[in-house]
Amino acid sequence: MTVIFGIAAVLAFLGALGVVLSQRTLYSALSLVLNMVSLAVLFLLLDAQFLAAVQIIVYAGAVMVLFVFIIALLSPGAEERVRPLELRMLLGGVAAVVFTVVIGRLTLNGITVGPGGRFHGGIGPFAPTVVNAHGQVQTVGEQLFTTYLLPFEVTSLLLLVAAVGAVYLSKRRRLVA
Amino acid sequence: MTGLFPGFLILSAGLFSVGAVGVLVRRNPLVVFMSIELMLNAANLALITFARYTQTMAGQVFALFVIAVAASEVVVGLALITGVYRSGRRLDLDELSEMSE
Repeated sequence: MTVIFGIAAVLAFLGALGVVLSQRTLYSALSLVLNMVSLAVLFLLLDAQFLAAVQIIVYAGAVMVLFVFIIALLSPGAEERVRPLELRMLLGGVAAVVFTVVIGRLTLNGITVGPGGRFHGGIGPFAPTVVNAHGQVQTVGEQLFTTYLLPFEVTSLLLLVAAVGAVYLSKRRRLVA
Repeated sequence: MTGLFPGFLILSAGLFSVGAVGVLVRRNPLVVFMSIELMLNAANLALITFARYTQTMAGQVFALFVIAVAASEVVVGLALITGVYRSGRRLDLDELSEMSE
């Protein structure tokens, strides 16, 4: 388990660095695919099988295909020269380290260590054994359609608005100079 | 397994920071959008980690909503980028600043 976590974590981080540091936009997109697939593996380790599948289908499938399509459509002139030793890159690296320390320290406050060095937070009714016995997808679906019904419906409204907005924005029309 | 929760959270913080720096440093709007995806993914990882830690479902359901928001954000953002490209301007965020003037 620890070995899988280590490999997936290193790959996810390398993918993230590749997105930011790649010279070519297409390489950034491919690094993002690596990052997302590694994150799906991590979701599996966290007993979130449904979200791992959604991650692969929606992100690595739909979103990245859209990205690569747009990159292929716009590629001339869309390239940007990035020198890794540029001042903004160095400052960005320092900022990334500082952000990581601060955010990591703050999120670690959410985890309490009990006696014997064991992490104990499991107070909810959805222990992994219970969830897996009932079916992971079934449990998420039941929650989605009972407790979280209103946010779920609002999400469908959001997707509708996004689709209408995309159609409107990409409609060919005279642009105001 | 349970001993890995800090690892997951620190990885999530690292991915979020790299994405935030990408948004701040890069000038290509496509790369900036990918960095935003990176940040949303890092937030998802933290959400699912805490869902597993507290043994509740709220984090997983919320991560699903985050994925939906990210998908719609990408659709609208890429439509905007193609609109900018079609208007004949270079895709460089430092040059696309006339909106603020």
